[in-house]
Amino acid sequence: MAASIAGVFSDDLKNAVEGSKILVVGAGGIGCEILKNLVLSGFKEIEIIDLDTIDVSNLNRQFLFQKQHVGKAKAVVARESALSFNPDVNIVAHHDSIIKPEYSVNYFKQFKMVLNALDNRAARNHVNRMCLAADIPLIESGTAGYDGQVELIKKGMTKCYECEPKAAQKTFPGCTIRNTPSEPIHCIVWGKHLFNQLFGEYDADNDVSPDTEDPEAAGSAGETALTSKANDQGDVERVTTRQWAQQSGYDSSKIFHKLFHDDIEYLLSMHNLWEKRRKPTPLKMDELPDAVAGSSKDNAAEGLKDQRPWSIVECAQIFSRSLQNLKTKFEELQSKNKDDHLVWDKDDKDAMDFVAACANIRAHIFGIPQKTRFDIKSMAGNIIPAIATTNAIIAGLVVLNAFNILRNQLENCHSVYCRLKPNHRGQLIVPERGLNPPNEKCYVCRDSPQITVCVDVNVLTVKELEERVLKSLLNMVQPDAVKDSTGDVVISSEEGEMEGTYHKTLAEMGILDGTVLSVDDFVQNYSLQVIVNHRKAEHNKPDIEIVGDQSKCHAKEEGEKSNGESALNKEEDEDDLMLLDETPTTPAADRKRKPESVEESPAAKKLRSCNVGDGDIIIL
Amino acid sequence: MVEINTNELTDAEAEQYDRQIRLWGLDSQKRLRSSRVLIIGVKGLGAEVAKNITLAGIKSLTLLDDGDVTQDDICAQFLVPRDQIGQNRAEASLARTQNLNPMVKVTADTTAVADHPDEYFHDFEAICATKCSYDQLLRLDGICREKGIKFFCGDVFGFFGFTFADLQTHEFAEEVTEFKPAAFVDEPAAKRTKVEPVKTTVKRTETFVPLKDALGVDWKSESYAKKVKKSESSYFLMKILFKFRAEKKRDPAPESRESDIEELKRIRDEELPSMGIPLEKVPDHLLSMLFAEVSPACAIVGGVLSQEIIKALSQHEAPHNNMFFFNPERNLGHVECVGA
Repeated sequence: MAASIAGVFSDDLKNAVEGSKILVVGAGGIGCEILKNLVLSGFKEIEIIDLDTIDVSNLNRQFLFQKQHVGKAKAVVARESALSFNPDVNIVAHHDSIIKPEYSVNYFKQFKMVLNALDNRAARNHVNRMCLAADIPLIESGTAGYDGQVELIKKGMTKCYECEPKAAQKTFPGCTIRNTPSEPIHCIVWGKHLFNQLFGEYDADNDVSPDTEDPEAAGSAGETALTSKANDQGDVERVTTRQWAQQSGYDSSKIFHKLFHDDIEYLLSMHNLWEKRRKPTPLKMDELPDAVAGSSKDNAAEGLKDQRPWSIVECAQIFSRSLQNLKTKFEELQSKNKDDHLVWDKDDKDAMDFVAACANIRAHIFGIPQKTRFDIKSMAGNIIPAIATTNAIIAGLVVLNAFNILRNQLENCHSVYCRLKPNHRGQLIVPERGLNPPNEKCYVCRDSPQITVCVDVNVLTVKELEERVLKSLLNMVQPDAVKDSTGDVVISSEEGEMEGTYHKTLAEMGILDGTVLSVDDFVQNYSLQVIVNHRKAEHNKPDIEIVGDQSKCHAKEEGEKSNGESALNKEEDEDDLMLLDETPTTPAADRKRKPESVEESPAAKKLRSCNVGDGDIIIL
Repeated sequence: MVEINTNELTDAEAEQYDRQIRLWGLDSQKRLRSSRVLIIGVKGLGAEVAKNITLAGIKSLTLLDDGDVTQDDICAQFLVPRDQIGQNRAEASLARTQNLNPMVKVTADTTAVADHPDEYFHDFEAICATKCSYDQLLRLDGICREKGIKFFCGDVFGFFGFTFADLQTHEFAEEVTEFKPAAFVDEPAAKRTKVEPVKTTVKRTETFVPLKDALGVDWKSESYAKKVKKSESSYFLMKILFKFRAEKKRDPAPESRESDIEELKRIRDEELPSMGIPLEKVPDHLLSMLFAEVSPACAIVGGVLSQEIIKALSQHEAPHNNMFFFNPERNLGHVECVGA
């Protein structure tokens, strides 16, 4: 080990390496590489944490894992493999989420520094706050394909992870998804929503039936929606897609007919929509074309199995088969726990088949080009391709910057970027010229931070304020909120304390336009003043908007992940998602909610200082 | 050049290589799986390259090293179990390299480079030489030139490292992104004209010079003398290290750190003036960062070198022509075309 061999390191570095305890958050692509560098360098005390298990698709780069490890905990196997490089290290592995309250500020304080090797923004935000609260240096890193970067975060000295806005993920208006898709991605999003409507967690915002309130269609919809039926009194009663499917016994042909024929007929009845658009063509299951769109037999024979285009007849068969398999799984879950449901997973064959088949059938109906299962998996799963080489380069730079910290040369820990091609000066691995000072308006790392939240106080409930605003959008873990003026408790992290008021609206709790809430997260040791700004809810407009800086208060087209309950612990697809540095198209903290978000990955972003176009590596 | 194997990927390959196929495409993966690679010198940098290209899924990898594992190797050589210090480096690295990817055929060869006839090297699509003398490198590059084999070399000294590539005349496909107005979207809400990136693949050719041209540059000549001022220290540091290796038949060693630093200073003081380079180009403190191979430096230089090998074999994306240097003072990695 470098530190144990006299003459490799200078004495001060040797002593610091041997005497410093390091926390590595994440044992994926970058985490495996960092761990290797640390044990070879001669560190003696390392903790590594990861909640994930090993998948076959990790093996092309996460070199501490092998086929026989698939399904096992990443942190545990990474520890075992790294110990074989150097048995003289004390490595503690946690198969766990770093967001849990037991990893408190005091837990973080035992480390000389933290090295992040994460794949999702929620965990990065959280570790950022923990390191700010513990006042220890954090080295943040990420890769996407050939691109990668490394950045020091130190309280009061550099920007924190949340100082700059992260470009929100691409979202689509509900009426585009439900009524007027024009691109393959619209059909894929619809397919995922359909999966959730039938088998997943119910979300009223992700409806798949025709949107009768589409402002564009105003005045034209005369008929009753087909998800409606008249009850005994003759009143029209809406049923959810899931209720409808359950009542029909998940019959493939009935569901096919409703989704791809009756609902399409209904859309056609909304005449205004089709004045300037190509009309969709309703499909009947027994009259499907079996030709493969835009493909001759020759090139259909080449490539991976997943790259072969499907005919519509095949799509319908795959639709029926996957639907029946999913139904069986769903009913098995429900027989054990009535509230349980499936979670869409791109690596689950039936879930992926179902979305690919539905997306292509819908694309065919609307005259949109079809995609292969391979491409749909990239788009639906937000796959950011990751390779061993970029991860190795970035992990090497992380550990060199860790050495700078150990030598008390924090001022030399400049951010470093790595790209596919050298820049105009021939630089391939590019250090910045200095540190980036904190953003004075940051709502996380500045003293007494403030933020404004625009909501309809007559609609938003206290529970939504907690789940969707404080936890999901503002990334808190266990928030407490009191009204500044009166000291009245609005939200309590004590379980059960506020149950009676959770379903009241803000207005009912006396929270009106201009009310200031003091919010405190005990776990993150983070306090924030939230100023409530009343704004009347409008159809197809985001119902929550967060503004750090009043001057930047206007609606944007893109929104952030909306479902509060899933944002915290859901990992993005790839281990090494690059997140640090995006073109600042969205002003700081100007994140707000939009109902039709595609998925959990905050992936749509551009990388700064890339060659034009290279930044658009991420699909959604 | 490597022909695309007509056999399709197996399901197991498609699954394991899924993420990289999404980045570099199926054709690249097929070219990789029909490529045979030789790594000469299996110390820290050699181990990093072996890891990365085995993970990527080449056809076969030969590890060639006639040396034994030393105590210093464990600073960066993670392919050797620690109880095998003193064993042959290639053989000791075999099992762990093979475990990285059972779909790649990995073999060890304990013969010295000099003892192999030229024909031995003809059976590879790419050769990557580390820890070789200047004369050995010239011989290997000559053999590769003659047979159209892609030649790479590189070394890490402490925190510092460099690589060189001679791909002769290299054809490759490159993805070019242009911004074009989007196809007319029949969407009344879309008021402004959308511009969207369109990716096209173009075929390009790049020509490389032999190693002797790159390392034999006359810095007093008119075209190079004016570059000296802007030039970064790395090229000259590399020249000093090659000289040290030629004179001492070894690299700077941790156990003789102080005297080796003095030797390096002496060589610098002789070499730089003869090249017409001011002494301050390579400051003293750089000479103290060159001992053993430091693991993070091997990861960085090895990462770049492996990616170049992958790019060359898959004929995908533009290669770096022809040298890469990693300067640990600033964490700066730069590409320079020398000798062309």
